[in-house]
Amino acid sequence: MMTSDMNENRPVSKVLVLDDSPAHANAIKRFCDEHNLVGLKVRKNRLLSVLRSNIDLGAILFSESYGGSLEESAEIALKISTVRPELPIIIRRETSPTLDGLPEGMRRVLCAAYLAGDMAPLRKVIDEYIFSLEYPNALVRGILEITESILSSLFKDVSITWDTPCIVRDRIIFGEVFSLIPLESAWCRGYMMMQAEEQAILELLDRHGMCDAPADFRDLNSLLGEITNLIWGSFKNRYLGDADALARNQVQVPLLVNHKQKYISFGTANPQLCFVYHLTNEQSGHTVKLHQRFIFNLSWSPEDFSEVAQDIGAVVEAGELDLF
Amino acid sequence: MSKILVVDDSSTVRDEVAGFLRKNGLDVETAVDGKDGLAKMKSSPGIKLVISDVNMPNMDGLTMVEKIRGELVNTTVNIIMLTTESSPAMKERGKAAGVKGWIVKPFKGDAVLETFRKLAS
Repeated sequence: MMTSDMNENRPVSKVLVLDDSPAHANAIKRFCDEHNLVGLKVRKNRLLSVLRSNIDLGAILFSESYGGSLEESAEIALKISTVRPELPIIIRRETSPTLDGLPEGMRRVLCAAYLAGDMAPLRKVIDEYIFSLEYPNALVRGILEITESILSSLFKDVSITWDTPCIVRDRIIFGEVFSLIPLESAWCRGYMMMQAEEQAILELLDRHGMCDAPADFRDLNSLLGEITNLIWGSFKNRYLGDADALARNQVQVPLLVNHKQKYISFGTANPQLCFVYHLTNEQSGHTVKLHQRFIFNLSWSPEDFSEVAQDIGAVVEAGELDLF
Repeated sequence: MSKILVVDDSSTVRDEVAGFLRKNGLDVETAVDGKDGLAKMKSSPGIKLVISDVNMPNMDGLTMVEKIRGELVNTTVNIIMLTTESSPAMKERGKAAGVKGWIVKPFKGDAVLETFRKLAS
């Protein structure tokens, strides 16, 4: 976790490393370090439960020997693909950097192969599947600043920290409630999503005396809606300006939510920009997590990204009255 | 006693603003959107100050202002927008519609309480 006074804005991506070879462990670790990847290991008997949890993954680095035999490995790869079809599975082969010679079913769920001695194909896949969208540092930093400022204004006596922003490909929804708001500009079109766990937020509301009666899910909805609205407003004022976005071609795609699987799709395989905030009560030490995701599924032109000149900033601070 | 109308679709904001004003001895009524706000303006002639959000469902805040000034021909009530919007174009539209002042959220009650008292008197 990084804290608000650190200055690391470049997003990372978490990859699950399913490769037990001690001979190649260092090479994989070095590759991860050099390419902004955070390699995570998991015990084999916990693999599926971990895959079903919210760890915001970008990809799976697999090995053909992971299962002990090729048949076992093929079975594991198929299970991974069934549980998390949105995650690219990249396999390390022993002799050939291709999918040749692998069982047909296994080949279908793998996206590429590489050799430990030549990581170039792995780099290409990581660039293609994870870091395919370039997020300007100023944007990432700005989102953190805006969100921290708004959360601080809403919750007194709470310290706010955040994890290093990450690029994710999974679509699993964190918690039980989320908000969604469109972002429209000349350089981006998509959504911002805020996700939360119901009980944790209800307890936060009660501890801070923010409701007259014990907080219920309507209070939670309202709070999450207002947090979303405030972040959206600041984001809009800072980055979207008065762009004539509405006059342009308004392409839309259906969003799909599967409640049973806790899964949301925005109609694209594009990776998402994810932030996780930790709100910690300074007295009790109790922490609440908020997940924030940016999904630019309709349009993304970072080369046109710019910050809007802050017309009001120099004259009137947020919260102060500007009398006409 | 003169009354203040707080119009916001977010119950969090309504409770925060109305609660703060009531705690400071002011008489407050609330509305959930521009349409509701317009209805409250019709039914409560004692309202002297309206504090309204801009982006709301059913009827946005600036349309409500235009209707208060136009349809209700109420040119005396003071109207302050409390919103995430800060674009000059939006503020210009508000000014033209008869808005008295503009506050960019989040709400900081202590900074505006005395002005609200004056505008509501």
